Amino acid sequence: MLIRLAGGEVVDPVNGLAGRRDVWIKDGVIVDKPVSKRADKTYDVSGCFVMAGAIDIHSHIGGGNVNTARLLLPEQHAAHLRRPLNTPLSNAGWSTFNTGCLYAKMGFTTVVEPAMSPSSALHTHMELADIPIIDKATLAILGNDDFLLSMIRDNASPAMIDDYVAWTVSSSRALGVKVINAGAAAAFKENVRRFSFDDVVPSYGVSSRTIVETLQASVGRLGVPHPLHVHANNLGIAGNATTAAETIRAADGRPLHLAHLQFYGYGTEGKRGFSSEAARLAELVNGNADVTIDVGQVMFGQTVTISSDVTRQYSGMRTANPKKSILIDGDGNGGGIVPYRYRPDYYGSLQWAVGLELFLLINDPWRVFFTTDHPNGAPFTAYPDLFELLMRRDARDAKMAELDQSALELTTLASISREYSLDEIAVMTRAAPAKLLGLDDRGHLGPGAIADIAVYRKGQDVRKMFADAALVFKNGDLVVEDGVVTHYRWGKTLRLNPPPDKGIVRRMQAYHEDRYGLSLDWFTFQETAISRENPFAEVACRS
Amino acid sequence: MVAWIGSRTVPLSAAIEQVAKLLATSRCPVFSLDSDIHGCRSLIALAERVGATYDHVNGRDLVHEVALHTDIGGFFATATEVRRRADLIVVGGDLPTAHHDLLLSLAASKPDLSGGGRRRWFQINGKAASAGGGRPLRLPKAVEVGSPDYPVDAVLGILRASLAARKASAALANADAFLSAMAKARFPVFVCSHLTDVPSLAMLQGMLADINKTQRATALFLPADDDAWGMVLASTWMTGFPPRTGFSTGSPVYDPWLCDVDRMIAQKEADLHLWVSERDEAPPARRGGPPTIALVRGERPVAGAAATIRIGKAGLDHDGVVYASRIGTLRSVAATTPSDLPSVRTIVSHLQHALTGKDMPC
Repeated sequence: MLIRLAGGEVVDPVNGLAGRRDVWIKDGVIVDKPVSKRADKTYDVSGCFVMAGAIDIHSHIGGGNVNTARLLLPEQHAAHLRRPLNTPLSNAGWSTFNTGCLYAKMGFTTVVEPAMSPSSALHTHMELADIPIIDKATLAILGNDDFLLSMIRDNASPAMIDDYVAWTVSSSRALGVKVINAGAAAAFKENVRRFSFDDVVPSYGVSSRTIVETLQASVGRLGVPHPLHVHANNLGIAGNATTAAETIRAADGRPLHLAHLQFYGYGTEGKRGFSSEAARLAELVNGNADVTIDVGQVMFGQTVTISSDVTRQYSGMRTANPKKSILIDGDGNGGGIVPYRYRPDYYGSLQWAVGLELFLLINDPWRVFFTTDHPNGAPFTAYPDLFELLMRRDARDAKMAELDQSALELTTLASISREYSLDEIAVMTRAAPAKLLGLDDRGHLGPGAIADIAVYRKGQDVRKMFADAALVFKNGDLVVEDGVVTHYRWGKTLRLNPPPDKGIVRRMQAYHEDRYGLSLDWFTFQETAISRENPFAEVACRS
Repeated sequence: MVAWIGSRTVPLSAAIEQVAKLLATSRCPVFSLDSDIHGCRSLIALAERVGATYDHVNGRDLVHEVALHTDIGGFFATATEVRRRADLIVVGGDLPTAHHDLLLSLAASKPDLSGGGRRRWFQINGKAASAGGGRPLRLPKAVEVGSPDYPVDAVLGILRASLAARKASAALANADAFLSAMAKARFPVFVCSHLTDVPSLAMLQGMLADINKTQRATALFLPADDDAWGMVLASTWMTGFPPRTGFSTGSPVYDPWLCDVDRMIAQKEADLHLWVSERDEAPPARRGGPPTIALVRGERPVAGAAATIRIGKAGLDHDGVVYASRIGTLRSVAATTPSDLPSVRTIVSHLQHALTGKDMPC
């Protein structure tokens, strides 16, 4: 079937395409304008912007911890029903079904779940398979697991480390590797409550820095396209910008991705000892070309924090709102679920401003990524509001007027006049994520790209424009019209498949039998277990 | 033969047609489920299609386990982590028989993390809980702490007070040994189940919150029925809610009282009952209840059922995915004695086709 999107204003910075032009789709793929062929179906998209489908690189959309959050808080999403409409968490829906639909209607077509415990990969993939429309991917968590820490302690060779990392990525069907507060979860099980970059995990004698550097090097050697995804130490603590700065410096010229940097943008100035260090961090990121970050913007309202950083989540339990939470000591990282309400008080105002400062002070939209760390900073349904804050200074000023002025005075936000252009938005939410994840087939509108396309009706109201896409195509299928899902389909989960070394498979079998008294097949699965046709699509490692 | 209408053997297609007709004309259908993850996913999708309310066949036990998570929360650990790290295990009350093997395997192993070493055992001794479903497990190494005069929640309350150096209202056997062991333990774990009643679970989590202020401690929660807990997980990700959920308004509504299938049948709100049990448990006999559709593994039609369809069991007749307490997450299981019996998912797929002419979404 040949489809023509006629007369739209194309925004495709990768291919240098801009201005009014047609986009052609054939059999799910974008093609050049065919010679002497008429379209089977033409959509008049004049008065609209045409962009590639958006990609979210860090959103907690599925897996054991996400599902535990749903279980802990049925009252927070009782408005799965039609009413009330205006509570952000309720609008996020929280079922797998709603997740896919809500992302699609905003023009997002690929979303990465960034924290999959390898030991519960089957659960995560079962959930992701039940998210309709969009493609998904996962990052496998390493860095608090006994096997890796023991190898580092015992000075295992780089080749042995690589075999283990490759086996983990392959058997858990992940697209990359994440480390979460490296070593801290293992230390927390031994009652260590604070854990910084150079602290050492008891029983292993291995520092957080060493774990990060080991994984970063391994990911590079294996050709995993996405750099090591680092959730650094000391999240949420005043003065933690120093930790983030140390972690950035440790990148040492090699690619490194720092997750939700907003939560590390805090200094100790001011009466409350809690201030913004966003400008300093932005300068550091600007000066380290190999470092990428996503923001984890805070927006106001009820949410729930979901994290495998159990050290952080334990300390957050004191401020749980409502007053209940769950902390799981699991294999490797475990997880913590703590509901939280961001209020426009001093602390909430400062966090909100720090995120925006990072967005606006990091110069290169190829290296700063659009996230709220859903749902930790805010549910992803807040994205249209965030687009508006980035693209309209007047919208920022209006919001700032409602917030705690003493907090905002400790930030540079009021002095920043930058407004994101649509081209920069296209880079930050389409082209750059595709490049960062190694997904050459998306993020742009060039011939050969899969036809993941979002069409937005032009207008002054940025929020409205991004909340309800006029049309969304997923692999060439029209799935959304005027912000309403009109066609359901099942996307795929993108994964790497580095061939596992036979020796490591034997070691893993022996390890599981010896340490858990269970055969390895308790922890691994065949693709047929997902019970959906072709649930995975392979992405190549770089040679 | 795999299907009956009443007691009359019929081709599967005829039974499917009859069941679809009953579902389509029902004003208030209710489902009682017991299947693997794929079976539950397909049945929940069917419930949405026909506006049904669903619960597990053992919903009475499950509602307390769900409440532990929705109302209390707290500290939990996986059995795999407990096996490798716990240097002190405290068993709180009776445990479901299905988990005795797990406890015995823990008793036969030693922790190898956090420096390893030996593992000590205590067993909370209190007035017998009223809930059924378990039998006492005697762990030879365990020291009993408590008193047969007090219920388990009171014993836990006394221990909690003692751990916090507050005055306790009563003396318990072996309390000093327990307190001394707790003080030395690096990773104590309290094992609990639904047979530990809700006040006890709340008291236990309160105690864990106290302990974690200065040292680590956690709980290993063992559900009464792993398959039922698997259903909780699938229901939660599919609808946002655990079971007792219904689609009577078109959207999922979670309400442990309103969506109590037994109550809906007893109070004659339900006009059709779909009973699904891979374990071949027959639906409870009810005089004057609504028509019943039974999906069971047995070779005979269920007495009094409007229609009966034979199904296989995941992990036995066909491959499947189940929740496994041994690892604290989902596990893929292969058929041990593959048979031609259709899976629940296959039957539900036929029903969806008969109802809508389309494939089911799961």
